[in-house]
Amino acid sequence: MASGIPYDLARQRWQVGATPPKRADEVSVPDLLKGYHPDHGPRARVSLAVGVNRGDPCQPDFAAHLQANALIDDVHIAGAQLVTTDVLVIGGGGGGCAAALTAAKDGARVILATKLRLGDSNTVMAEGGIQAAVGADDSPQRHFEDTLRAGHFCGEPELVAQMAMDGPAVIRWLIELGMMFDLEDDDRPLGGKLLRKKPGGATAARILSYRDYTGLEMMRVLREAVELEPGITLWNRCPVVELLSDDHGRCAGAVVYNLEWRCFVLVRARSVIMATGGAGRLHLNQFPTSNHYGATGDGLVLAYRIGARLRELDSFQYHPTGIAYPRHLAGGLISEAARSAGATLINGEGERFVDELQPRDVVAAAILRECAEGRGIERGGQVGVFLDTPSLEKANPGILAKRLVTLRHLAKKCGHDAAQEPFLVYPTLHYQNGGVAIDRHGATGTPGLYAVGELAGGIHGRNRLMGNALLDIVSVGRRAGAAAAAQPADGGTLWGRAGIGHVHAWQRELTLAGLPLDVKAPQLFPTYAHFDLGADAGLGAGMPAHGVGGIR
Amino acid sequence: MVQLSVEGCPLQVPATSSILQAMVAAGQTLVEGVGCMGQGVCGSCRVLVRRTGDSEVRTALACETLVEEGMQVAFLEYFTPAARHRYRMDELGDSWDALARIGEVFPEAEHCRHCGGCDRACPKGLDVQRGVNQAVAGEMAASAHVFDECVMCNLCTLACPEHIRPNHLGLFVRRMLASRSLRPSDLLRRLQEIERGEPAIDFDAPGARPPV
Repeated sequence: MASGIPYDLARQRWQVGATPPKRADEVSVPDLLKGYHPDHGPRARVSLAVGVNRGDPCQPDFAAHLQANALIDDVHIAGAQLVTTDVLVIGGGGGGCAAALTAAKDGARVILATKLRLGDSNTVMAEGGIQAAVGADDSPQRHFEDTLRAGHFCGEPELVAQMAMDGPAVIRWLIELGMMFDLEDDDRPLGGKLLRKKPGGATAARILSYRDYTGLEMMRVLREAVELEPGITLWNRCPVVELLSDDHGRCAGAVVYNLEWRCFVLVRARSVIMATGGAGRLHLNQFPTSNHYGATGDGLVLAYRIGARLRELDSFQYHPTGIAYPRHLAGGLISEAARSAGATLINGEGERFVDELQPRDVVAAAILRECAEGRGIERGGQVGVFLDTPSLEKANPGILAKRLVTLRHLAKKCGHDAAQEPFLVYPTLHYQNGGVAIDRHGATGTPGLYAVGELAGGIHGRNRLMGNALLDIVSVGRRAGAAAAAQPADGGTLWGRAGIGHVHAWQRELTLAGLPLDVKAPQLFPTYAHFDLGADAGLGAGMPAHGVGGIR
Repeated sequence: MVQLSVEGCPLQVPATSSILQAMVAAGQTLVEGVGCMGQGVCGSCRVLVRRTGDSEVRTALACETLVEEGMQVAFLEYFTPAARHRYRMDELGDSWDALARIGEVFPEAEHCRHCGGCDRACPKGLDVQRGVNQAVAGEMAASAHVFDECVMCNLCTLACPEHIRPNHLGLFVRRMLASRSLRPSDLLRRLQEIERGEPAIDFDAPGARPPV
């Protein structure tokens, strides 16, 4: 990593409670992004050589996964157990749960398969909150316009409008399930007002939250609801390794790998709802990530292989305030709630250098510029800038203890007191802005296949606002669940031929494009998980034994 | 560097590692009992830890716990009890029935023998036992507050000799409280407006188009 101004010197230049000068900045926002945001650098994109998006730009590391061969072939699933269901939901985060609960309520038999354990997801890690236009000074129209503008007008207006209008009903649904929200006056649940915060890049205070662990509050409620729902069969530790297709190009189910039993299971389903999340744990551009361990882009790879169109494949969100120091926590997230509450960013010269409440891509690019131009702060080999929590606490005594609880815990883990010492922060790979193209019901271009949440694209354009992810997953999740459950039980879809014919077509395409067949995806776990599906499942003779078992 | 043992296997790792990072650094396979990798919110990486010179085995979350010289670690399986409480939020009746419902769904809760096992097991230091007793007494807001920062790791459930499943009881109380009493005025009003079809989205508004 680049060098910067030594930490001790930077500490001398920074003073708690001072109003630091803001550096004059002549650079326009487009130039700032072009110069410093990873989406815009020289290594920002390559052109895809295979699949429905052939010729479209894609982030290079991610392209390698999209253009890879399948993990399995016919022979590996020849004798596999076959299970049928109406709706198969893949992914156990908020989006998968919302979809499964809705489908089950509408009378469908649902299997929910998840790679780790129900709830292990980016949802549970979300801190900031969820957007919904409920304030008297706010409206769904403003929410709609703010979202489009923040996404650089690349979002699909239809989808954005639907999400903005869904907002209040989504909050109601969550409350009915038993999720709590912060109120302006905690003692007045009946008839009080929701506490609202203003997200960076928005024109009104629209973030609803529960403390600064909104995702935890949401996920524990959704998880309990799913676990107690008789219409849902839950399969923990069952990652999807391939989709099933029929003769008509429909998605007809999926091949799941049961990590407990070390065997493949074929699931025939009338509809498959993919809710596997994003790709942060692929560490694109070698960035640290704030993402959950399981976020390895599995669903994106599989949806693309079966023929679903993707969009904005070259647009990722680098959250401005990841932890830079200490190294063992690098990449962990410091919620935007801190900046939203007024915490400023300070460089090694003791200056402010950006309006902290600009959209995330702008703030991240500004931090990357400070570090690239030597005004970053270096500590223990890590470079970043200060997030000034002590001045925030001084200006709002008690705010760290009352409103930013997680921040205080985080500081403790970093080995300091957030009221005394600023955090060292650096942008962290946070969100996949694009994904599988969907319609208003979450349906993809492949019949029978739905996409929900971070895996889906089209709502956030090329940059996502804080709080829109939690809204997106529930809004689209409920709609996809309802649409999937409404698929007519015509008998044919569950009994026709289904297999991995699309994989064979894909392999031909790879060969014709001169791409290697020995590169396989999805990756299922980060590289440092030391997991090899081939070895674990005992595929093929002479497989190297490494990766089997481990000490757990 | 620090020497510790995980599941009886000796590992040597940098002193600044969490237990999970120690596993990764040592090249061990890590595909379960892992989740948020340090944020401490998913409750997946439950471990038993014995520190040098300490006779007691303590529970912890591996992602939040830094390695120590001589530490012995064992991961805890995620057990799923054969029979658990069953309820559906929309079938619980109104809030006048709250106390009766708590008793019906969690009949074991009043058998708490005040052993404090749940409190010792909680990696977040919550007053679990107090929360259980408050729930039984109908002090729902107070009980809910106890479980505010619960990450549902189930360690208290694992520890309870009366099978109370305190964290699930806490969540039940929280869910009842929210679903039966949270009715914010601004949300009610906006829902009513939307139902009346008032705030429609104007796709051609000036703010909906890119600036020229």
